[in-house]
This record gives sequence, C-alpha cells and structure tokens, in this order.
Amino acid sequence: MSAAAALLDQLGRPGDVRLGTAQPEPIRRLATGLSGLDRTLGGGLPRGRVVELAGQRSTGRTGLACAVAAHATQAGETIAWIDVDDALEPAAVGAAGVVLARLLWVRPRGAPDALRAADILLGAGGFGLVVLDAGDGGGRCSTAIWSRLARAAERSGTVLLVAASRRQAGTFAAVGLEMAGRRARWSGGPERLAVLDGLDTRIVVARNRIGRPGQSLVLRQACA
Amino acid sequence: MARIACILVPDLPVAAACRVDPDLVRRPLVLVEATGPHARVVAAGRAARARGVQPGRHTVAQARALAADLVVRARDAAAERSAARALAEVAASLASRVETAADGAVYLDVDGATHLVASERALATALVARATRVGLEARVGVAAGMTVARLAAEHGDGTEVVPAGVEQGFLAPLPLACLGPPPEIASTLQRWGVHRLGDLARLPAAEVATRLGPAGAALVRAARGIDERPLAPEPLPAAVEEALALEYALDNLEPLLFVLRGLVERALARLGLAGIGCARIDLVLGLDDHGRDARTLSLGAPTRDVKAILGCLRTDLEAHPPCAAVVHVALTAVPDAVRAVQLGLFVPPGPAPERLATTLARLAALCGPARVGAPAVVDSHRPGVACSVPFTPSPAATPERPPADGVCRLVVRALRPPRPVEVFSERGAPVFVRGDGLGGRVVGAAGPWRIVAEWWSEDGIARDYYDLELTDGGVYRCYQERGGWYLDGVYD
Repeated sequence: MSAAAALLDQLGRPGDVRLGTAQPEPIRRLATGLSGLDRTLGGGLPRGRVVELAGQRSTGRTGLACAVAAHATQAGETIAWIDVDDALEPAAVGAAGVVLARLLWVRPRGAPDALRAADILLGAGGFGLVVLDAGDGGGRCSTAIWSRLARAAERSGTVLLVAASRRQAGTFAAVGLEMAGRRARWSGGPERLAVLDGLDTRIVVARNRIGRPGQSLVLRQACA
Repeated sequence: MARIACILVPDLPVAAACRVDPDLVRRPLVLVEATGPHARVVAAGRAARARGVQPGRHTVAQARALAADLVVRARDAAAERSAARALAEVAASLASRVETAADGAVYLDVDGATHLVASERALATALVARATRVGLEARVGVAAGMTVARLAAEHGDGTEVVPAGVEQGFLAPLPLACLGPPPEIASTLQRWGVHRLGDLARLPAAEVATRLGPAGAALVRAARGIDERPLAPEPLPAAVEEALALEYALDNLEPLLFVLRGLVERALARLGLAGIGCARIDLVLGLDDHGRDARTLSLGAPTRDVKAILGCLRTDLEAHPPCAAVVHVALTAVPDAVRAVQLGLFVPPGPAPERLATTLARLAALCGPARVGAPAVVDSHRPGVACSVPFTPSPAATPERPPADGVCRLVVRALRPPRPVEVFSERGAPVFVRGDGLGGRVVGAAGPWRIVAEWWSEDGIARDYYDLELTDGGVYRCYQERGGWYLDGVYD
C-alpha cells in the first residue's frame, strides 16, 4: 500500500461517508435557575422551541415565568415580555430578580397584536427568551400562527414561553407544563396578624417531545 | 495656489427624472412645464436629442412627430432639488469647503485633498464613482479656479485635470459660446473675428470694457481663467431629503411602498457617503384632497438597512393609513453615527443594534411608542404604578449578580385600572367577595395594611389593603378606600 493510500485510509476518502450515521445536534437549553425543574426537563427549557406554561389564576404561572426571566437576564440574556393584560408590576418583577434593563416590555392592545409582536421579536433574533403572557383570556388561535411562531423560534434559537390559562400551541409546543394543585400558605392565626407566605404548586410536564413527559414536581413560591 | 474641482451633471432636470425612474435612461424622454400637445419641451434626454428633438424649440406634438415612442414627463422641482443636494453631498464627502451654484453645479476646494486620494485625477474619478452611487452621471473638472474647472468639466473627458500654469493653453481652443455670452456681445465679437477663447483672452480688457461694457470685460477675464469671486463655501444641512411628485394619485399601500423604496434607497446611499446611518425618518405625504399627512418614525438605533426602514414604514402606514390618496412624497432621513457594539466574551450576544432598532420601531408602530420599552420602578408609594423607559440593553455588560438557585418569588399581576368589587364583611373582616369575573367565599385573609401616600396632593391615597384567598381559586390583593372596595392585583 502506498503512503498516499495509507494517508487516505487514515483521513477518510472523499465521498466515503456512510449515510444515516450522522448524530443529531444536541439541543441547547436555557436554564430556569430552579434545579428541580431543570433536572426534570433535562437541563432547562429547550432553545428554539415553543414551551407552554398553563395554569389557572393564582397557580404561580407568572412567578415561574419571572423566575426563568430572572435567571436568563442575570446570565446576560436579553429577553422580551409580551404582556397582553398590561399586568406586569416592575417593582414585583425587579424583586423577583429580573434585570429590568435587559427586559423589553411590550404591551399590545389585544391577543392578535400580541401574536404579531411575538412574530416580530422572534424574527429579530438575539433574544434568549420571549415570554408571551396571554393572561387569563387566551382565546384559541389558528394552528397556522403557531406553526409560523414555532418556525421563527427555531430559526432564531429563542425560547418562546407561552403563559396562559390553558395550553394553546398544541402540537407545535415542544414542552407543555401544567400548573395545578395550588395551595396558599398563610402564617399567623386568630391571635396574630395573618400574612400570606406564598404558594405551593404542582408542576406537571404534560408534554415533552424531547424528553420524558408525565413527571411532576412541587414548586414553592415565596412572597418577596 | 488653490485647486478647485467642479462637479456637474449635464442636463440636471433630465438626470433627476432618470434618477427617480432609471428605466427612462434609454427611452426618448422630454420634460415639459405645461400640459397638452402645445407645451414647449424644456429638456430632452439623450435618446430624444438623437432623434432631433430640441428643447426650447419643439413642442410636445412636434417632438412626438420626430419620436413616436416619446415619453413626456412634467418637470419635477422636488426631484431636481434632491439631485442637486445629492451632488453637493458627493462633493462634501471628499472636501469640507463646498459651494453649490444656482444651476446645480458644485464647486469644492480640493487643495490638500491628496491625503484622501492619490492624485487629482484619482480624486475626479472618485467623485464620478460616488455620484454614480447616488444615481447621477457626473462630469468633473479640476483646475486652479472655478471658471476653468467648470469649463474643464463641461468640455474635458469627464475627469479632466488642468495642471497649474497651463490654463491658458486649455482654454485657448475652446469656442466662444462655451462662456455663454449675451447675444449682442456674441454677434459683436463675431464681427471682430473673435471665435475662440484664446482670441478673446488676447484682447486688452480695458478696451473691451470701453466698447462692450462690464459684461465684455468679465468675458475677457473668464477667457483668461480669472474668477470674478472666490469660492463661497456653505454648510450643508445634516438631514437628507428625497422628494417626488407622483404622476397620478396612489390609493394603495403597495405602490406607495414601491415609491418609498426608491426614496429610501437614494437617501441611504447619500448618508452612506458620509458613513452615517439614519436615526429618524420624517415622511410628509401630499394628499389628493390638498391635505398633508406628516409622520415621524424614530428608529431605536441608526441604520442604513433599506429593508428594515421599509418594514417600519410599512408597519406605520398599515397601522395609520393616510386619509386620502397620495400625490406627493417627501422623505427626510435624519442622520446619526452608526453605533459600534463591543460584544462580551462571556455573555450571550443580544439583538444586533440595527435589527433591534427596526424591531423597536415595528413594535412601536404596532402597540404605540409608550407601550414598548424597559420597565422602570417608579419612585412612589402608590402600589401598581408602572412606567417604561427606552430600551437600550448593553450586550457587553457582565451579569450583575450570580444567578440564584431555587428561589421562586410570588409576584402580583396588576389590574389596571383597579376593578370595583362588592365585599361582604362580618365583624369588620371580609367574608365574601363578588365582582366582574370573580367571586367566592373568603378562605384565607391577611390585613389590613394601611397605605397613605401623597397626602399633600389632591389625588393622595389612604387605603386599607387586604390579601384575600377566595373559593374560586384566586388569591387577590384588594383595598378599601372612601367606602368602596377595589381589586388591584392577583397573586400568581
């Protein structure tokens, strides 16, 4: 065997590639900062995917979204929050740890404008996280819109976190988290002044296309 | 000795029309200032002249007899102004002392400009190339004075350089007509046998002044290459304006955007000469009902991205369409230096400044400028008060604090404005709440906490706050004020 042939054997011959052996690219994750949730999801929220966060009123949905936003901004990410109900309290969000200077707060005048805003933000690229806070209303919209948003999120590598009272994106969501079993914690009693300490909520991974669904964990939320 | 360059566009009205619509370059184009077949042709393009059309002599009907496929356009003063300004900006990109003549020719002091380009010939070539970038086919002449530079531009090879000391030699063979003498003086000089500038330059100026007056003496000085006055430089306005009068009213967004694309492209090409970007767009639309639609589009960061600016214009026009068809468009690009961004090694790259500018502008057009920004904490004791400030993230900044692990805070979702509710109490404690979209028995309560703020003003507050958990599943923040109960937040 000539030296050239030996070298070719060592380095690989042109076109000598066995099809079907390519490894899929590992999915990059955006850590939530909550170790239990990160463990359950396999490292955090998948980047470039739609993640749903569904829960009724006072189930800690906004608190969890704020925790994810806080961890992302503290890690240097630029994020956006589409606030359909104009419900964000800057003081509360700041107290939750969100770096306000890295948070773009968009307050559209309704759900259709919110979806357009999400499309614009995902198209811009560079945002690590876009939270689409649909509030308590959250009427269903066509699958074509979710398909478009999912594609835009994939192109930009942005996590689109949809927080609503019920799941919206259907099959276009890579991960669906449902918040249920809420219990408020109070301290004090008849003789003392009562104080709201926080909420305990069970998070169920109802859908997970890139991991194991059906897992659950309890999230403790404390008042600031 | 001073060195002056003259940059001019032959037949500026035709060049301005072709700059707006490049398809006209190859077609026989004539410009008129009136309507109808008897309107006099005031300017003609190269193709029309080649067919024998003569501006000032032929009417539209006569010109059409010479060229059946004649294209007739109204002379557009706004487009001519934009073209002349663009030419001045081309000059200003290579010199600081620039003067624009009334006929659109531009003079620039190029003394010492060789630190920018290798030679005067290269300077002339650079000026021609930059004029091409803004859509104009220019000619350049460089000489010791304005008169010679102008004649060099008109009669040279397009980038003519007349070295110092040989001006007379360059001027001598040129015909007398190139100085544009008045007809009576021209005929007198013809009778004297003076046909070329060299003949005129040899005549004694004082004798010519005696016979032909000051105009004759001025002609002699011009024939000798002597300027009547020195260069009078003037500062150019920073903003770049491109305007266009439309042939017919546009009542649809898509054709209007097509027109705007041309204006934006030309304006940004002009800004590109100085290496700056556009920070704001002022758009004025002349309407068919003699009205005027003026709008300002602020971009978050200076940009020269045509697509981005067009996207912003589209969003704004879709959100707030003009109230009538559009007959005139004037676009002003207000410039600013393009921001340079230093990315950090250890932080994720944020949105690119130009893309972010476009995104913010599109979001502002969609939601309103006051509804897009970074949230800011207001220095107030009033709960639920919010405001936003312009969003300018700093991608190179390092994380402010190490990420906390496992801490999840309960936050309040504000209800703006607070929602009035009915509260039933027993022995001073709320036991049942009823309101729009909520209601139930109180199963957990905390409070009251009194908040008194801004008591010195008329709209001061004195509220008793409660946290209430209801059987409908919600945990609410309520307050009592002046006998009424209100819900202003939901714990979530």
